[in-house]
Amino acid sequence: MTQAIQTIPTGHYRLKDTVKSEVAKIVTLPSTAIALGVTVVFCLLVTGLVANSALHHGPDWYGGLLITGEYSSGTIRATLSATPRRPILLTAKIAVTAAVTVAFSVLLSFVTFFLGQAILSGGGAPSAGLGSPGAFRAVVMTGLFIALLALMAFGFGLLFRSTAGAIGAFVGVVFVLPLVIRGISEPATRYVPTNILINSVMSTVNQGGIVRPLSAPVGLALMAVYAVIALAAGAALFIKRDA
Amino acid sequence: MRRLRTLKVMITAHSLTKRYGATTAVDNLTFEVPPGEVTGFLGPNGSGKSTTMRMTMGLDVPDSGTALIGGQPYCELAWPLREVGGLLDAKAIHPSRTARNHLRWLALANDIPVRRVDEVLDQVGLTSAAGRRAGKFSLGMSQRLGIAAALLGDPGVLLFDEPVNGLDPEGIRWVRQFLRSLAAEGRTVFVSSHLISEMSLTADRLIVIGRGRLIAETSVADFVARGGPGTVKLVTPDEARFTAALTASGATVAAGAGGSLTVEGLTAPHIGDVAAREGLRIHELTPLAASLEDAFMELTQDEVEYRPTMMAGVAGGAKE
Repeated sequence: MTQAIQTIPTGHYRLKDTVKSEVAKIVTLPSTAIALGVTVVFCLLVTGLVANSALHHGPDWYGGLLITGEYSSGTIRATLSATPRRPILLTAKIAVTAAVTVAFSVLLSFVTFFLGQAILSGGGAPSAGLGSPGAFRAVVMTGLFIALLALMAFGFGLLFRSTAGAIGAFVGVVFVLPLVIRGISEPATRYVPTNILINSVMSTVNQGGIVRPLSAPVGLALMAVYAVIALAAGAALFIKRDA
Repeated sequence: MRRLRTLKVMITAHSLTKRYGATTAVDNLTFEVPPGEVTGFLGPNGSGKSTTMRMTMGLDVPDSGTALIGGQPYCELAWPLREVGGLLDAKAIHPSRTARNHLRWLALANDIPVRRVDEVLDQVGLTSAAGRRAGKFSLGMSQRLGIAAALLGDPGVLLFDEPVNGLDPEGIRWVRQFLRSLAAEGRTVFVSSHLISEMSLTADRLIVIGRGRLIAETSVADFVARGGPGTVKLVTPDEARFTAALTASGATVAAGAGGSLTVEGLTAPHIGDVAAREGLRIHELTPLAASLEDAFMELTQDEVEYRPTMMAGVAGGAKE
């Protein structure tokens, strides 16, 4: 049985092949459904309890998990053997992660908004509808903001290659660093992601604190800059580093 | 549009070097892996085999030198999985994905028809386990799944890192025959192992390394011949007198188990002549060919002995 030739298509693998492959990976992981499901249940519970749009940080760590899971299982080596051009691979991964987290976060933002307002109006408290001033903007931007947090976590995942490292960095930057910044300069806290989310993006009225918050679009843009910095640092290492 | 391509693709490493801090894992390695044969990559644990394979597959970047597949670096292959199949670490699979889904995303990445997934699962005998999660697989099943993944794109070049590790005897035999049949189809088969006996049964050619350095690149037969002329097993009731007579004739005699002697430096006919001359009794006389293992020990021992001199040479070379 001597087979001296084989056939192979002309051209080469392209971004669309890599994107298809990455989508197939995400949908075949039971942990995707579990992570997103747990997030939904948790957010709805918290919304139900405090009757407010909950701080849903579920999609964040999921964004980090998408890359660190590949390192912890060793799948990254199979991924790179199929798609050795790392810029193409990274583009596909970031695109798919962005699509999943944006869709999920915006959807979740709407669901928690309606649930929260329904509870408020059910209890006779003043409540808002999507038509209320700034409400629609706040709901959509909250979704986008959460997706950007998830992409920042993805960048941390690229940097640290371990789930523990990425979550540690995420908690450090998002929850611990603000405390440090507050100690140094109170006005600077307006640039901190959690404060942007609560004071700029989620709120529709000026809550009149000591620190004047950023406007919602500026806050969202700043969060995008944070995400891009984390992704760029992670990408620079990923492209050079041994797998 | 499809184009025809020959399976005859060579792996070539040229002055391949990889350092981790102060340790040189792969040291100026140059070799060729030709098509149509099984080339064994032999060396003790930690001698740089896996690092060499990872560099060949573009996972690790060499500090200097090149590892090419058909003259191209792995990272520049048009359809990597259709050109090279690699099994580097059987357990490097996400544990919660099923075998079929694992192969499916791999196929999609290189636009390989998805029907190939079931074909290769059948080829390695995993059809009945296709829907099971890879994390529940035994090491043997994982090795089979890894081999299935390597075969997915029907590639002309195959790299296997320790494919029989953890397999039972039946599995080992299966892998051995499988590698031989892939080479018989004209493919380039490069398989690493630290098991010398296994390589003697599987490989046609050997690339032997120790401490990251090339020790030998040769056929299996030539490699065994380098182990020296071998020894003779002698069983005799006249042990003391025989030992004295053989030593006087220039042989080295070592006492073995159960009153047997191992004679080095004289052939069986010579030992017979000595016995006839001295009137000594022989109960058994068996020439033992040098094994691949002896050859390997001999060569790696040299490597250790010459190490200081070679290190000096390398250091001198680096200064130039």
